[in-house]
Amino acid sequence: MPSSAPGVDVLEARQLEVTFPGAAAPALRGVDLTLGDEKMIVVGANGSGKTTLIKSFLGLVPTTGGTVRVLDRDVDHIHGAVGLSTNLAEVYRLISLPIGDLVPVFAALKGGDPRELRERLHEFELDDVLGKRMHELSTGQQKLVGDLLAISFGPRLVLLDEPFDNVDFARRRRLVGRLRDLSAAVLLNTHELELLSNFGGWKLALMFEGRLFGPFRVDELDRLFLTRGTRPGALAEMTTSLGTFSITLDAGDRPMKSATSLNALVEALA
Amino acid sequence: MNLWRPYTKAMLTNRALWFWAVVFMGFWLAIGAFVESQGLSLAGASLRDYATSWYAVIVLFSLSMLAVSIANSMTYGSGALAYSFRFTRLTPESYFGSVVGGSAVLGFVLSFVLIGATTGMFAVRFGSVLLPANVPALVGISLLGGVFYMALSMTLILVVINYLGLKSASFVGFVPLLFSWALGVAQSYVRLPNWLLYGSPFNDLASLLYQGFAGYPSAPVLGQANGAALDWAPLTLGIVVWTVLLTGTSLWLLRRIRVRQLEEGRQI
Repeated sequence: MPSSAPGVDVLEARQLEVTFPGAAAPALRGVDLTLGDEKMIVVGANGSGKTTLIKSFLGLVPTTGGTVRVLDRDVDHIHGAVGLSTNLAEVYRLISLPIGDLVPVFAALKGGDPRELRERLHEFELDDVLGKRMHELSTGQQKLVGDLLAISFGPRLVLLDEPFDNVDFARRRRLVGRLRDLSAAVLLNTHELELLSNFGGWKLALMFEGRLFGPFRVDELDRLFLTRGTRPGALAEMTTSLGTFSITLDAGDRPMKSATSLNALVEALA
Repeated sequence: MNLWRPYTKAMLTNRALWFWAVVFMGFWLAIGAFVESQGLSLAGASLRDYATSWYAVIVLFSLSMLAVSIANSMTYGSGALAYSFRFTRLTPESYFGSVVGGSAVLGFVLSFVLIGATTGMFAVRFGSVLLPANVPALVGISLLGGVFYMALSMTLILVVINYLGLKSASFVGFVPLLFSWALGVAQSYVRLPNWLLYGSPFNDLASLLYQGFAGYPSAPVLGQANGAALDWAPLTLGIVVWTVLLTGTSLWLLRRIRVRQLEEGRQI
């Protein structure tokens, strides 16, 4: 069972490029990302490349440049690495059976105890999904089942794509608590800037037009500003199709915390 | 990591598969028993020949429905398989073994349900109960048939997934059915050349099913007692060689499975 030693980077992308056949522009452009045993949120608008980034780490999209290493191994040559999990629905479409029958299947695939997943489903008041197949669930239920599958069975690294989409407020709060307490490295994608305040202490990266900027810290969010053009001493420079922007600390054109989305902030300054 | 139990359960509880592989095939058996038999003087050996040829061809069609079902399932699961081979205990070999287990069980079940249907319908029509002569042989042939169709459909659909794209999946999924239909029906009416009778896995299977049910070797034309009887040994060798070749090919392709988006398969 391959897994990286403690202290070793669990995720590493170097100059990662992904261009889908026939696409006018790359989905990912020169992404560099390193994650050790820590938690990171990637914030970006729909279509910015967040899901493609996660799929690249899972080996589910063909890369057109750069390297991807997961749990200290090349993703193209990894097998049986049960320590990595994700909430992407498409990876759970293995057999058409009710969720109740799939619980022991997924537990066996990950080498875990099915009771753990049943208890989590019960905690999130999802007992009634056990008799249903995945496609019979509501969008929010599907998302939650994927989330709970991802965080069950003692993962070392969890890749979560928009884990709060269509999830009701009460369960969102419960999920936030579970994610904060999770003893695993986490890479979490979201387009919701307002969620960030729940994840103090986590790393933060911004995704825009397939490029990744950061890392910053979620705790710094109140102090981050976006400024048009280049600024000496900036934390990062964002080169985009709308121009160049600088991310600065404590002073700048617009405070990040005031934005509802990164795109809205950039477009307001452009 | 063996998933043959959940795969077997998924196959056995697939109502659509039961409809197309059993109910729809029952309809064709009824055509054979009640419509096509009109005007034929059938009794004793001729009745057994006639009924057995229908049974053999109908089992081919039924198993090809299983092949369609497997191919369809794999187009939905390319992402799940690619992920599972990397990040779970599932290996291409154990996945293949799991589907083989389910397919063999289903091949056995379909074959024996159709034995019951054949016996029942012809008993109603002719008042004569026809029971299979060699049940152990039929068990073995049915299991092998299930595995052959599974390996064939998996090979074809993996070629689509890995190289052609899902646009072709709907059509390629029907290839086993088309071959079963063309070669099975042809053997019922036409004297096919020996190289085809022994070299085609579909005809190998039909002839062996015939021999298992009737208790004596099939003639080159199913149900017509003329021409030298077909030899079961090369027939068995033929289907086994095909199954082994397709198993090796599908495993090779499975290790290289590409992820496809379902929408890619939309035709219009």
